[in-house]
Amino acid sequence: MSLEEPPRVLIVDDDGDICDGLVAVFERAGFSALAARDVAAMERLLAEKGADLIILDLMMPGEDGLSACRRMAGKGPPIIMLSALGDDADRIVGLEIGADDYLAKPCNPRELVARARAVLRRGRDKEGGLSGVDTVRFAGFRLDLARRELIDPDNVVIPLSTGEFRLLRAFVERPQRVLSREQLLDLAFANDSEVFDRAVDVQVSRLRKKLERHGEPELIRTVRGEGYLFAAKPSR
Amino acid sequence: MRARSDKLAGLPIAAHLALLVTLAFAAAFAVVLALVIWLPPRPPDVVRGDMLLDAFARGYAETKTTGHAPGDGSLHWRIGSAPNLEENSHINHMLRPQLAARLGIDERFVRVAAQAARAEMFVYRVRSVDHRVIDERAPPPEHPPFGDMPPPRIAPFAPEPPPPERPAPPIPPEPPLFAPPPAGVILLSGFEFGAQLPDGRWLVMSQGRNWEVLGWIGRAALVSGVTLAFLSLIALFVARRMAQPIQSFARAVEAVGVDPQSAPAPERGPRELRAAARAVNAMQARLRALVADRTQTLATVAHDMRTPLMRLRLAAEDVDPAQRDRIAKEIGEVEALVSSFIAFARDDPAQEPRVRLDLTALLQSLVDDQAEAGRDISFEGGERLLITGQSLGLKRLFSNLIDNALKYGRVAHVRLVREQDEAAVEITDEGPGVPEAARETVFGPFVRLDSSVGGAGLGLPAARSIARAHGGDIVFLAAEKGARVRVTLPL
Repeated sequence: MSLEEPPRVLIVDDDGDICDGLVAVFERAGFSALAARDVAAMERLLAEKGADLIILDLMMPGEDGLSACRRMAGKGPPIIMLSALGDDADRIVGLEIGADDYLAKPCNPRELVARARAVLRRGRDKEGGLSGVDTVRFAGFRLDLARRELIDPDNVVIPLSTGEFRLLRAFVERPQRVLSREQLLDLAFANDSEVFDRAVDVQVSRLRKKLERHGEPELIRTVRGEGYLFAAKPSR
Repeated sequence: MRARSDKLAGLPIAAHLALLVTLAFAAAFAVVLALVIWLPPRPPDVVRGDMLLDAFARGYAETKTTGHAPGDGSLHWRIGSAPNLEENSHINHMLRPQLAARLGIDERFVRVAAQAARAEMFVYRVRSVDHRVIDERAPPPEHPPFGDMPPPRIAPFAPEPPPPERPAPPIPPEPPLFAPPPAGVILLSGFEFGAQLPDGRWLVMSQGRNWEVLGWIGRAALVSGVTLAFLSLIALFVARRMAQPIQSFARAVEAVGVDPQSAPAPERGPRELRAAARAVNAMQARLRALVADRTQTLATVAHDMRTPLMRLRLAAEDVDPAQRDRIAKEIGEVEALVSSFIAFARDDPAQEPRVRLDLTALLQSLVDDQAEAGRDISFEGGERLLITGQSLGLKRLFSNLIDNALKYGRVAHVRLVREQDEAAVEITDEGPGVPEAARETVFGPFVRLDSSVGGAGLGLPAARSIARAHGGDIVFLAAEKGARVRVTLPL
């Protein structure tokens, strides 16, 4: 990453102290960071300099973050919403209208940076990126990315744990490709968590159980000595 | 068409009832009328006089030879004392000599009582066309109506021998059931004929039970039955028409109680119900405005409280790591309090749709998340168990209980079992437990058993209100050690 140009983060928040603080945090983490105080300023900066990622506040004077996000979802750079509304329901609304991630204030600045890296990593994978999408379908199942829930072909909601959701998301974004345990660790688990290869196997077996349908072939196949392969063809 | 029926449905309840009564009355009238017209009238209780004379003569002869009264269904016979009959009636005067002559005994030993029906008032029922034709043409030759007697003294009954040249009336294709009695025949009712037997006893013949009446009663019952069935149908229809809007109104009001965003109550049915529906809809609109207001206020409060916390958290990045972690921990506690207040005041779950969900997977996912964060937690449950509920609401409910168990009891055991018509989840911990006296009061808002542990005391009341909104409940049970909380949810 150091050889390339550092990723540019655009921070949009009406509170000056928060803008300054976040700019400092991101610069310390090796990003190039810009700040805008409202949506109009953000659009000006986007047009002038562009950005790889937007950190967007929800409640701002003028156009609020939700409406800006709805407008830009899937078209511009990925968006992480940083909001004073931290309820599950708020998070779901944010993700449903197309935010790539959602964090509630006050958050740990290092977690924000980690999430920003994860979103950028996903975004780079152009073919499978699910930026701006809230539901993916495969083999009769639906994966609700906002609610982190699996809906089976009989319309039964199957809640997923955080680990299972990240793993399934990684599979769905890269279908019909062999993924090694290391790749899955990298894609599905935050860099700072201490997980081992065996943890991937445990999560895969749990996920398989939830995806199991009587008489249907296994959706996640084991490729001996290499890793796992997601056999279904996802569509949006 | 639809507008008109809608207008009709909008009448007040009193009008509906009046309409029902009118309809019922009209229907009853129509059915009675139809059946009366369709069915023959009650058979007249009259018998031809000439036939009675024949019958009595036959019975008298039979009694004389056998010694006991003949049995005849439609006539009642007895042998005994002289009948106490009025001697001076017209009928007695007219028939007594005829009867005496037929029996070949003196008039003194004969008595007759009867009421003569006016022949022109009655038609009488014939059983077949042939019979009718014979009746009309001439009396049976072997039994002329009044024997060899001279014509009776009473003029109207004088037999007028039918002109023999009169052609037989053509037989109508549909033979009428009724025919006027043949000329010269008198019709009698309530008769009693008596004649002394040679042994001095009297043979009395009186009108027996008229079995035809039974048929008539049956018909009357049929008329009543059909009317009743018809009226029941109308009543059922009207009752349905009135009850249906009341039911849908009740459902709509119930839905408003649970969720102010639900569809407005339909303004249908009787006028009173429409007024009630309008009132409920107005109330719902005010409620919605209130909720919107409250949501806005809470969002502002959340913003105003969390923005300074975020600033503080960012500022903490500049101090040394040990200090920073302490500050972060304090900020986390304040934030948890803010969250629980806002969550309690917001009442989001009411707005969440209900879905079929796998409760086993839901509990498993919560437990897995805690286990991955390094907490001591276990889960015991079977195969998938489907219930209908709000996925976020239920996640919040069980997260609250699991958080409590981990916070106060360090270790949490979650167990899911399926009981007859409900799912039961028991969460046990290894902490100090909940004293028996507090097992109900802990569900009150702001109640905290251990004030040394952070929290606002809003988790349990929120959890209980979610469980109850799902038709279930949460209770604390007695346990050997630690707390044991049991959640039941209907399947």
